[in-house]
Amino acid sequence: MEMLLMGACLSMFGLAVMCLAFGAATRDERPDESAGLEKPMEAVKTAAPERFFVDPLLIPVAAHTRVPIEALLLQLENHVRLEQAAAESYMRAPNAALLHSRTMSTLVN
Amino acid sequence: MVQADLLNGLAGEDGDRVLALGRHILLASGAELFHLGDEAECIYVIAQGRLRLTLPMQVRGQEQNVMVEERVPGQTVGWSALIPPYRFTLTATAPLETEVIALPRERLRKHFAAYPEAGYLVSLNLASVIGERLQLFQAMWVREVQRMVEMRSA
Repeated sequence: MEMLLMGACLSMFGLAVMCLAFGAATRDERPDESAGLEKPMEAVKTAAPERFFVDPLLIPVAAHTRVPIEALLLQLENHVRLEQAAAESYMRAPNAALLHSRTMSTLVN
Repeated sequence: MVQADLLNGLAGEDGDRVLALGRHILLASGAELFHLGDEAECIYVIAQGRLRLTLPMQVRGQEQNVMVEERVPGQTVGWSALIPPYRFTLTATAPLETEVIALPRERLRKHFAAYPEAGYLVSLNLASVIGERLQLFQAMWVREVQRMVEMRSA
């Protein structure tokens, strides 16, 4: 009986600690109640560029400018080889599916 | 002996006679065989090695020679030498040590006047080389246009 009560007390204590921890963890992410609905949305948008991984559009632009021109030319060569191979396989058995088969080229994917 | 696509269907000695009109040229790695816009006097059969055919492209504001085709032993390059206005429309470079047989247009013309059957077969083979290249580039071009359409409608 004592063990059961002790277990129940510990469970209640654990639950209370979890609730406090959860409340503390989620408090900062709640929108400011004094502000309107649109304002927090704007705040998220302006914060996004600083966390560059949030906006997928920022990644390619930044990454492309960092790719050395030699690497870009190799990508182009690889693309041409893959396209030529795709066109050759189309010519062996001409059909629409082979003509527009997907490419593995990193230049367009 | 080179199995040249240009000589398909010719009897052994007829093919040898055609190849004997040419001279062997050895290209060091990185050497240029012909340049875009140059006067084209010879067609070339690749005996060994490889040739990269390139076209100029603007990449990040700089002109770069971008490979559009790669040719291997037995294949023919430089057929601009047989078609007016006799100017190369690509640049050919050897990425590794390469040997080619240069066949001058004027010597070929005289030879085919003497051996019209050989001339006929070589003309058919040349038409086949050009036709295949046309179909290949048609397919490559349509694939690029398809991608452009998909990007625009995305």
